[in-house]
Amino acid sequence: MRLPRKLWFVAAKDVLIIAKDRGAWMSLLVTPLLVIVVVSLALSPVYKGGTLHGTLLVTNHDTGSVGQQLVDAVAANPGVTIQAASNSESETLKQGSSTYAASLVIPADFSAKVQAGQSSQLQIYEDPNSTTSAPYLKGMINSAVNRFSAVEVAAKVAVTEALKQNPAAGAGAVAADATAAAGAQMSSQPIQVVSQPAAGAKELNTFDIETPGFAVMFLLFGVLNGAEGLLEERDRGTLGRLLVAPISKSAILGGKQFMVLALSITQITLLFAVGHFAFSMNTGNSRAGLALMVAVTAFTATAFGLLLAAVARTRRQAQAIGILTILLMSALGGSWWPLDIVPSFMQTLGHLTINAWALDGIKGLILHGKDFYDILPQAGVLFAYGSACFLIGIKMFKFQKA
Amino acid sequence: MADSIVTAENLVKRFDKLTAVDGVSFTIDEGEIFGFLGPNGAGKTTTISILSTYLEPTSGTATIDGFSVTGEAARVREIIGLVPQEIALYPTLTAIENLRFYGRMYNLGGAPLERRCREVLELVELWDRRDGRIDQFSGGMKRRINMGAGLLHHPRFLLLDEPTVGVDPQSREHIFDTIFKIRDSGTTILYTSHYMEEVELLCDNIAIMDKGRIVAAGTLKELLKLLGEGGVIELEISPPGCPVGLEEQVGAQTGVTSVRREEDRLLISSDNSARSLAPVMKVLEGRGCQVSNLELYTPNLEKLFIHLTGKELRE
Ligand SMILES: Nc1ncnc2c1ncn2[C@@H]1O[C@H](COP(=O)(O)OP(=O)(O)OP(=O)(O)O)[C@@H](O)[C@H]1O
Ligand SMILES: [Mg+2]
Repeated sequence: MRLPRKLWFVAAKDVLIIAKDRGAWMSLLVTPLLVIVVVSLALSPVYKGGTLHGTLLVTNHDTGSVGQQLVDAVAANPGVTIQAASNSESETLKQGSSTYAASLVIPADFSAKVQAGQSSQLQIYEDPNSTTSAPYLKGMINSAVNRFSAVEVAAKVAVTEALKQNPAAGAGAVAADATAAAGAQMSSQPIQVVSQPAAGAKELNTFDIETPGFAVMFLLFGVLNGAEGLLEERDRGTLGRLLVAPISKSAILGGKQFMVLALSITQITLLFAVGHFAFSMNTGNSRAGLALMVAVTAFTATAFGLLLAAVARTRRQAQAIGILTILLMSALGGSWWPLDIVPSFMQTLGHLTINAWALDGIKGLILHGKDFYDILPQAGVLFAYGSACFLIGIKMFKFQKA
Repeated sequence: MADSIVTAENLVKRFDKLTAVDGVSFTIDEGEIFGFLGPNGAGKTTTISILSTYLEPTSGTATIDGFSVTGEAARVREIIGLVPQEIALYPTLTAIENLRFYGRMYNLGGAPLERRCREVLELVELWDRRDGRIDQFSGGMKRRINMGAGLLHHPRFLLLDEPTVGVDPQSREHIFDTIFKIRDSGTTILYTSHYMEEVELLCDNIAIMDKGRIVAAGTLKELLKLLGEGGVIELEISPPGCPVGLEEQVGAQTGVTSVRREEDRLLISSDNSARSLAPVMKVLEGRGCQVSNLELYTPNLEKLFIHLTGKELRE
């Protein structure tokens, strides 16, 4: 398809106008960058390990020694402080009013059951508002329990072997001795589990999480600018002047929309580039996949802008409708928080938006290691979405002033 | 007589219930300046919009250089130039950037485009200000660039929609000079205005519009003849019911060429108003008519408009 030469002249004219418009650059790049940086820095402790610590409130009803051994094992972790508690204190936490992030209740028959090889239950109460300490403490308890179970198994194997060699010894006495010995080993000489990121994998960076969402939102605000620019041409009469000149309507609209598309791609690429080079944002394993997502997201946003210009009668109306729909789409579609944390019907509703499909693809690449072929469905949906907006927009747009 | 380049037949344009243009017909000869004179809302811009292919008429036909404005709009667009009533320029671009852009829309490029931009800027006397941004120009300068943008491609037919609105007398002179220069280069011009002085000064043929219709058309001379030749003595007489045969009696006085009665007013055309006045007054006095108001003037379009429509051109 050969595009008419005048289409490029129309686009070039808009480049010239944008180049001189400092306000446009402010809203296309500076504002989004500031928001991304502020949000990423503010939320980084929520997502990041960093300095993890917490105080665990312990209520130990155990009549035997196993409960205490477990507590000691948890306490061996550097970030954990143990606070022994009365029964009533752990009840308060259960009811959700406490300054402690989590509490552990060990039942009276804990040792007996463990030693008899029966299953036993530990109760943990977490403060739902503690997004870092509670999960951390719970993790530490689980890992101690796992190690403890391993010790149990080892002890049982040891007892069986010992009885084979010396059947005269009483089985009960051997088992008790073995468990006690193994339990003592567990806390005094724990197998050190040193956790560190696997080779090649990067530490989670809040910019990975926040940049795509806000970039897509500001991309939509960018195309709103474009829509307003189109309506401004109509209001001012420059569009009318073009209509009576020897240039086709499709070249006029094509030139203007091409410019919006090019600007959208530039905007999102620059935002990602700054995220990557200044804040080590991950860009995933597939550059081609990311390029495809950027292109198709920009295309769909551009088409959405045209649709806005087509349904609005005036520039002010486009602005009002645009701001409303963009904010709604951004909230519903996961630009402000990940969609995994919202109820499933909200996730479904969210997928009516451009944001959700774009972010599924982009975050899939950046956060979940997906490759080019994995994100083709999202790219396809977006392309169809954009094409529909374009067709309706072209059909509905009124070139003449009302 | 020159060939006509524009013909319009029975043009009608309705917007919902409002009929903006209501059966307008006219022809414009090649090389002339044709004027539309009419008050706000007369339908001038709507008619121009139809001729320039911006709007489709509800009914009626128009051709420009033989091409139909509806069926052959693309051909029409190549030969017309439109200077719209509003300043249709990009305010943040400079004068020359605006002109370059519009020039490209008319297939100009390279050296010819640059040359033409310069010629046009010199024509509107803003070559010195070519690198100034439009939004930093005065109203008159904007108007002149607005006009220049419609001239770049040497249109055969130029439509000027009130190009002097909000312009000081000096800029207006500039614009008139420019229009004459364009006419002299062979371009046919349609000029709209609600200033009768402008139309009187510029136009070879004039159509007076009101409420979507052409109420009178012709050369200035032909139009003024409708009010009578020479001077006009306009009298308001009382009592309104003046004697029978008064017109005939007044018409017989020195210099009087015609007399018309409009309710309580008497319009007397005369070869020489000064000489006719005394005998006319005498007749009136003799017939017992009180003169409550008297006006002596040479016929003009303003008066003609009032005469034709019963209202002022500018209200
Ligand atoms: N797009 C439109 N929709 C509805 N009505 C319109 C439209 N354009 C013009 N009109 C109406 O048509 C009538 C004629 O308007 P037009 O602009 O042609 O007048 P005009 O002679 O150019 O007046 P002016 O001297 O004020 O420019 C007016 O009553 C106007 O309100
Ligand atoms: Mg008008």
